[in-house]
Amino acid sequence: MAENAPLVEVQGLRKLFPVESGLFRQTHSFIHAVDGIDLKIQAGRTLGLVGESGCGKTTTGKLLVRLLDPTEGSIYVTDPELGQTVDLAGLKGRQLKAFRRRVQMIFQDPYESLNPRRTVFDTVAEPLVVQDVGTLSEREERVANLLQLVGLSPPSSFLFRFPHELSGGQRQRVAIARALVIEPVFVVCDEPTSMLDVSIRTGVMELMMDLADRFGVSYLYITHDLAVARYMCQEIAVMYLGKIVERAETEELLSNPLHPYTRALISAVPVPDPEYERTAIEIEGGIAAPIDPGEQCRFYDRCPLRTDRCGLEDAPPLVDRGGGHYVACF
Amino acid sequence: MADTVLSVQNLTMHYTTRKGDVSAVDDVSFDLEKGQALGLVGESGCGKTSVAISLIRLLPENARILGGHIYLDGTDILALSEPEVLKIRWTGISMVFQGAMNALNPVYRVGDQIVEALQTHFPDKSRAESREIVERLFRVVELDAAMIDRYPHEFSGGMRQRAIIAMALSCDPQVIVADEPTTALDVIVQDGILKELREIQDELDMAMIYISHDIAVIAEVSDRIGVMYAGRMAELSDTVTVFRQPRHPYTYALMSAFPSIKGPKRKLATLPGEPPDLLEPPPGCRFHPRCPRATAECRKVPPAFEDLGGDHFVACYHPIEESNG
Repeated sequence: MAENAPLVEVQGLRKLFPVESGLFRQTHSFIHAVDGIDLKIQAGRTLGLVGESGCGKTTTGKLLVRLLDPTEGSIYVTDPELGQTVDLAGLKGRQLKAFRRRVQMIFQDPYESLNPRRTVFDTVAEPLVVQDVGTLSEREERVANLLQLVGLSPPSSFLFRFPHELSGGQRQRVAIARALVIEPVFVVCDEPTSMLDVSIRTGVMELMMDLADRFGVSYLYITHDLAVARYMCQEIAVMYLGKIVERAETEELLSNPLHPYTRALISAVPVPDPEYERTAIEIEGGIAAPIDPGEQCRFYDRCPLRTDRCGLEDAPPLVDRGGGHYVACF
Repeated sequence: MADTVLSVQNLTMHYTTRKGDVSAVDDVSFDLEKGQALGLVGESGCGKTSVAISLIRLLPENARILGGHIYLDGTDILALSEPEVLKIRWTGISMVFQGAMNALNPVYRVGDQIVEALQTHFPDKSRAESREIVERLFRVVELDAAMIDRYPHEFSGGMRQRAIIAMALSCDPQVIVADEPTTALDVIVQDGILKELREIQDELDMAMIYISHDIAVIAEVSDRIGVMYAGRMAELSDTVTVFRQPRHPYTYALMSAFPSIKGPKRKLATLPGEPPDLLEPPPGCRFHPRCPRATAECRKVPPAFEDLGGDHFVACYHPIEESNG
């Protein structure tokens, strides 16, 4: 693929949540949930965002679809049809709503993300209603087509069911159909398969990859599971306490991790092979909430390879070590 | 067989619901030897947790054990009266629960909760003696002794799980059942807990049952694996055999659907359909609606759970042929 402008380009994105305390709920400090991250996603590619609980991956996802407003930074999204690039971070009102046609999200828990009082048809057609696309019969046709594509067939037997009449895997398929019905170019998927059982999960993962090819959609795939990320994504970015510490092509990242945190993370993943001897790299301590963190590297306290420089200087920037392998470490 | 600590024979258990009986565990049998770690693996609703709570007789009110025996050191737990079960619980079999958040009482200090368990079972022990045991247990699970007098909310998720392991060890049980002990934890923390459990098991020569949906976790900690599907045991053998030579089509599908970060990237197999509704389980083999090898026979009578040779138990009419790989 030619090096076009990336579909999504994030620059210096930050999100601070105030920590309120005391009688008058005064704000004394901030949680730096997402602290100055840069990301690029090319059209038709899937970027995996991995990290442990509380590292800011879900916040990042919500910022990218503007379910949360960023504190600072830009999110440039290019509309491939119009060839326009817009900074999503500054959009308001009608323009923002128009942009929601291009950017959608799939959530983790299909038991919570579907309205229990709406039928499958109401749920999947809702984005079309909100965006005022098509007539009723066109909407019906589009919803039925999509249900067929996500494997809920025959669509006629699913259209008027309620979520409680569906299994977890079927619900997640409905959520996928809802995200894709208005033909977005970019979908943020927040742990879409982590609630599903293995025998169901593979089917949903296959479906998502298949639909990405068919519609030319790019995903930001948020997950804590490196094995799933390997399967789904061409590129992986590893997040630690609000910062991206490493980003590279999937196989490069897994076979040649350069950041000490990535190494520890990879070494801790159990391997489904009883004869494989894993040598886990142990790191000290636990993950802390990034409340008003210092300027030095966030991994400093736990890093097995830290030097004096890491403690004294500001956090290392994310730099290319060759071949698009970015690492933030001295 | 001399060292068999626990023997489960033909265990069958139902839950009574308004819609009818849910056949949660059906004719499940397995043995556990001293010092052995058995992994029970399967998807949600396959009956693995139901087996676990039958073992310590912590059944909800709507559960009924319809048949079978659970012998702990020769005594049938299912035949015991409630007061007799109380004696065996924690001293004979103890359990590490899934939700580390819910298993500790938030208004008591963690150390006191373990002391309480100890004093219930060993009323002759003085408080000071119990306290000493707690200190020793905290060392075993690598928790700082200062944490003994803290409350559960002051513990991180991983530390809480360690405290629960300490509690499970407190009365020196013969068998520990760990139900999804690391499921809610991040990988790095999970790794520490699994290592801890393995070390404790080695040191104390403990018999353990691990329950998990994650075959990668099971692969790391178990000597033997039992694969469960829809309330029945599908396959049971030593860990390497189950991974290298799965004979039941469900085991094979499960193994092929699991992604790994090691080895060549391969295409994952997709299993059609969904697990059955246990209110009305399919007749015959419960896997037949999803099985590529199913024949008319499979739809009628459930296959027996038999040794195919070399201590490899499989419940299937058409097991996958042994390969020479």
